[in-house]
Amino acid sequence: MALDGIIILDHYGRPIIQSGFRSSTTAYSLLHIDAVNNALQKAERSADVDSVIYVPPSNTANGSSACCHVEVGDLRFLCPVSGDVDPLLAFAFLQTFIDILREYLGTVSAATLRDNFDIVYQLFEETLDSGGHPLTTYSNALRDIVIPPSLLNKLLSVTGTNFNSTINSGFGAGAAVGPFSSPLPWRKTGVRYNNNEIYFDIIEQLKAIVNKNGTVVSSHVHGKIEANAKLSGTPDCSLNFTNPQVLDDCALHPCVRLHRWNRDKMLSFVPPDGRFTLMDYTFSSNPLTSPTPTQQSLPSVMSSRSNLAIPFMIKAIVKLEDSGGSFDVTLTSRYSTHALENIVADINLGAGAGGIRCNVSRGSGGGGFINAGGSRNLDTSGASSGASWSFDAQRTVLRWEIPIVSPSSSWSLHGSFSTGTRAPRPSHAIRVRFDISSHTYSALKVGQLKVTNAKENYKPYKGVRGRSSGEVEWRW
Amino acid sequence: MSIKAPRKGENYELSVDLNSEYREKRKDAIKRVIASMTVGKDVSGLFPDVLKNMQTDDLEQKKLVYLYLMNYAKTQPELVILAVNTFVKDSDDPNPLVRALAIRTMGVLRAEKIIDYLCDPLQKCLRDENPYVRKTAALCVAKLYDLKPELVIDNGFLEQLHEMIADSNPMVVANTVAALTDIHIAASSQPSISPNDPALFPISSSILTKLLIALNECSEWGRVAILNALARYVAKDDKESEHICERVVPQFQHVNGSVVLAAVKVIMIHMRGVRREDLIKQLVRKMAPPLVTLLSSPPEVQWVALRNINLLLQKRPDILSNEMRVFFCKYNDPLYVKVEKLDIMVRLAGENNVDALLSELKEYASEVDVDFVRKSIKAIGQTAIKIDAAAERCVHVLLDLIDTRVSYVVQEAVVVMKDIFRKYPSTYEGIIPTLCANLDELDEPEAKASLIWIIGEYANKIDNADELLGIFVDTFTEESYPVQLQTLTAVVKLFLKKPDSSQGIVQRILNTATKDCDSPDVRDRAYIYWRLLSTDPGAAKAVVLAQRPPISIPRTTVAPALLEELLGEVSSLASVYHKPEETFVGKGRVGAESLQRKTDAPDDRFSTSKALQTVAAGQQAENLLDFDDAPAVEGRPSGLAATEVLSHTPAAANLLAGTSSNPLDDLVSIFGAPATPAPPSANSHDIFGGLGVNSTFPSGGTGSLGSPAVQSPSVAAPPLQKNQQPEDDLLGLF
Repeated sequence: MALDGIIILDHYGRPIIQSGFRSSTTAYSLLHIDAVNNALQKAERSADVDSVIYVPPSNTANGSSACCHVEVGDLRFLCPVSGDVDPLLAFAFLQTFIDILREYLGTVSAATLRDNFDIVYQLFEETLDSGGHPLTTYSNALRDIVIPPSLLNKLLSVTGTNFNSTINSGFGAGAAVGPFSSPLPWRKTGVRYNNNEIYFDIIEQLKAIVNKNGTVVSSHVHGKIEANAKLSGTPDCSLNFTNPQVLDDCALHPCVRLHRWNRDKMLSFVPPDGRFTLMDYTFSSNPLTSPTPTQQSLPSVMSSRSNLAIPFMIKAIVKLEDSGGSFDVTLTSRYSTHALENIVADINLGAGAGGIRCNVSRGSGGGGFINAGGSRNLDTSGASSGASWSFDAQRTVLRWEIPIVSPSSSWSLHGSFSTGTRAPRPSHAIRVRFDISSHTYSALKVGQLKVTNAKENYKPYKGVRGRSSGEVEWRW
Repeated sequence: MSIKAPRKGENYELSVDLNSEYREKRKDAIKRVIASMTVGKDVSGLFPDVLKNMQTDDLEQKKLVYLYLMNYAKTQPELVILAVNTFVKDSDDPNPLVRALAIRTMGVLRAEKIIDYLCDPLQKCLRDENPYVRKTAALCVAKLYDLKPELVIDNGFLEQLHEMIADSNPMVVANTVAALTDIHIAASSQPSISPNDPALFPISSSILTKLLIALNECSEWGRVAILNALARYVAKDDKESEHICERVVPQFQHVNGSVVLAAVKVIMIHMRGVRREDLIKQLVRKMAPPLVTLLSSPPEVQWVALRNINLLLQKRPDILSNEMRVFFCKYNDPLYVKVEKLDIMVRLAGENNVDALLSELKEYASEVDVDFVRKSIKAIGQTAIKIDAAAERCVHVLLDLIDTRVSYVVQEAVVVMKDIFRKYPSTYEGIIPTLCANLDELDEPEAKASLIWIIGEYANKIDNADELLGIFVDTFTEESYPVQLQTLTAVVKLFLKKPDSSQGIVQRILNTATKDCDSPDVRDRAYIYWRLLSTDPGAAKAVVLAQRPPISIPRTTVAPALLEELLGEVSSLASVYHKPEETFVGKGRVGAESLQRKTDAPDDRFSTSKALQTVAAGQQAENLLDFDDAPAVEGRPSGLAATEVLSHTPAAANLLAGTSSNPLDDLVSIFGAPATPAPPSANSHDIFGGLGVNSTFPSGGTGSLGSPAVQSPSVAAPPLQKNQQPEDDLLGLF
């Protein structure tokens, strides 16, 4: 017994589509839908519902089960499990399935699902065995057996020719070989491109908590390297870094040869075709003590996850009175070369808050012009260009948005709110999210990328980009 | 069905299109049928029309027809027979995808009549040259076993599967293992299974070798299946355990969290057999980073990871000793994640990081979310009790919080202070006036009872103790029972400490409690006190003012024997619920598995399963958790088994005694709020209902347990034996 199936619910908790359940009773999936909807109704915040819900047995179904669920946009994906299954297996599978859906349908929404019932069913069938075992989830292999709904297909289907044999074997190239005969499960054979290219995106996310004195209480940088490979044949890549010591806790795509990585920190792999995540890592900001090639004393590494400088500073003055309060928040960029983009600051004002008056302004410093250092020319004309605020009365969250904070500039938000009859009880933290383009916290540098190919000789185009984002909780 | 379909309407149009001479029109019609089926319209009437489209070269169309068949096979089994020929033919198709599809669909249809036609094609497909077909066929055997086990055995499919473990394709190996495991589970849930049944899938050392080879080459799902099989293997000696651990450790670097967790489980199990200390250390060290990495995942994954980390920490507190900051809560974390993080933070607290922890907890106490605030304050109390050196700092933080005068903060802080007084008697008397100043703000029974207990305990040092208690005596009949019990005991304490000034109040309360109170517990306790006081004040002193052992935080929230069992279940529902599997999933499995364990018979295993049964039985008896098992879990001792086990096996005694050897101490520490991170107090009151809520509380009454004077008139002190049962249930709850 394992994963029993997948049910996709719409925004109102009604099932849109579900995989075929093996269970003898049709009530089984209904029980799970009910259990989830009930739990959601009871909870104040939908995010607070336990992610694994116990579903008691009905008198017809034998044995009890549990339901793992995740929310994706407007939809909710349920994965009922019976027997003693790792819930993480369910979540990992759901995530994989959602990724696959995105790849096939572009956006995953009730409408796209309804338009493509046939595709979704086929994906259910191919990815999850009715006995509960996940099957093929490598998109390379899947595309061979479930044809993505592309314009091409529509055109072909209009002509009405029998193109199955070609489609089923990877766009014609490997027709002779047949599906699933590739020695590498993640890569299909016979891939051919006119322009051979491989791109790497180094994406890092900072998560930090800063206390009211401006001291960083905890900070972590998680990074991943996403790759997009468009290479012909069976290319063998080897990628090394000039500063691999900043990488810690690495989790690698199965295509990476582990022993090479453990021995000389070299990523040696035959890439899947198309997009994939090559590795996940944690940035250890204290490279001196981190272990080099072999595994060494880990405790030193652990403690060395020392805190990283936060790219901005916040000064918040909040005055609370009997039935309301006023606030004055200033955000100053600490970076001198990179601009912070898409800044979203959320302040939860607590139950009963309302009557918001706010004023957003651009403070001094930084100037409208851009320092050297390669950042883009930013439009900073106008005192409060683009910055805005909004208030979500239901969640009592005040949101402050600034499209771009240029280097060393500062922005501020003054305002007041009232809480009617009760005492104000705002959350003592401001949650700030932001992006920084062409920047990584770890300054991870790709040293060399070699692509070798036994049969064919081509020089691929190679590209590496960095991108960062962050989520900082700043307390006041 | 018998009614002829009308010649108009949607279904009629579909039926016309399904019979169209243009293939595209037909295919489009099938898609529309599928869409109608999905939104719940009845298109079963189109069965014959759809079936006509089954024979096609278009694989997509074939799949859609199969889908339709699977959906209606249950309701129209007689029609499915019409499709059998095509299925059989398809299983011989030159295209491997079609062969696999045919086999897979036939396995799913679950129609008796189809099954008989399945065996021959399945036989062929198991030996197919294409690995995709082979791996599909392997899983099909498990499904067949589910429907008709005898067919699987008669056709020799089991032998074939066993051969396929040596397949050259790792995915085939993984699926074969998954299929054999499914069959193993299904077979062992039969009540009358012999240990030599062919359907059982014991992992031998030759299979082990093959699994270890396939492990590194198959997909993540295959790895999980193989790792789960490895977890069942019983290593011959420590060399083999080491070997397994070394081979499995690289899985920690897999991107997929479920692979990581499954690998952690295998390591935790086989580490028991490893003797080399350096290897154990190394393994433990390597376990930490992947677990921490899981914490950067979405909340639901975090939660599963946290529950498992919580469990691992109880066994190996050193795993994440320097990582407390990872667990700091963000205010937008879901509550269930925050609560789990709090628990882990307290677990990781030590003298070196307690300051960071306290300032963090203080921060949480000013949060918006009331539940979370309360839990944070509780955590402060737990920290104080855990780390002696930090107790004073904790008390200061609590005082700061009481200063905020936010009602629920103050009340929770008072409850926590009571626990600190119990751990460090006579140390922080200076703050009693501050606590008493907040008397008017208390409206929750637990907070009231806590404050009353403190007043009673320190009656001789509080000048106006009689006044303060007088307030509660005046409203005695309106209070809830826990408050009544506390008031009663506190007044008696006051009287014993200051007999001159409190004669009146004690008389008043004994009168009220015996005459006007409708709780038998309160009345009985009042009678005992009355009798004691009137016959032998010395004995009364010995009982009511007895020294109580200080409380402590148990290192584990589950009993050691259960912990071992759960660690074997890391990465499973059991580890998330912190309960043995048999308490929440289907019936039956207990019988066979624990039976097997008994025959395996190393002592600790035996006692583990015993302890498990006890917990399970206790839970059933009390039905605490809505996890009501189906009533019949055969052959398990029920209810009272707890006491029986107690006397026999040391492990079970441990289960009851927690970490300490003194059962009373443990009773107190388990029942006392600080020791128990999990249960909301309301719950524990329910549990104790009949036995007297006094035991949840450090009252004079419970104190008397230790004293020989009152063994017999025991209402306030029910015999120890009886008390152990609810405790069992409590343990289950954690």
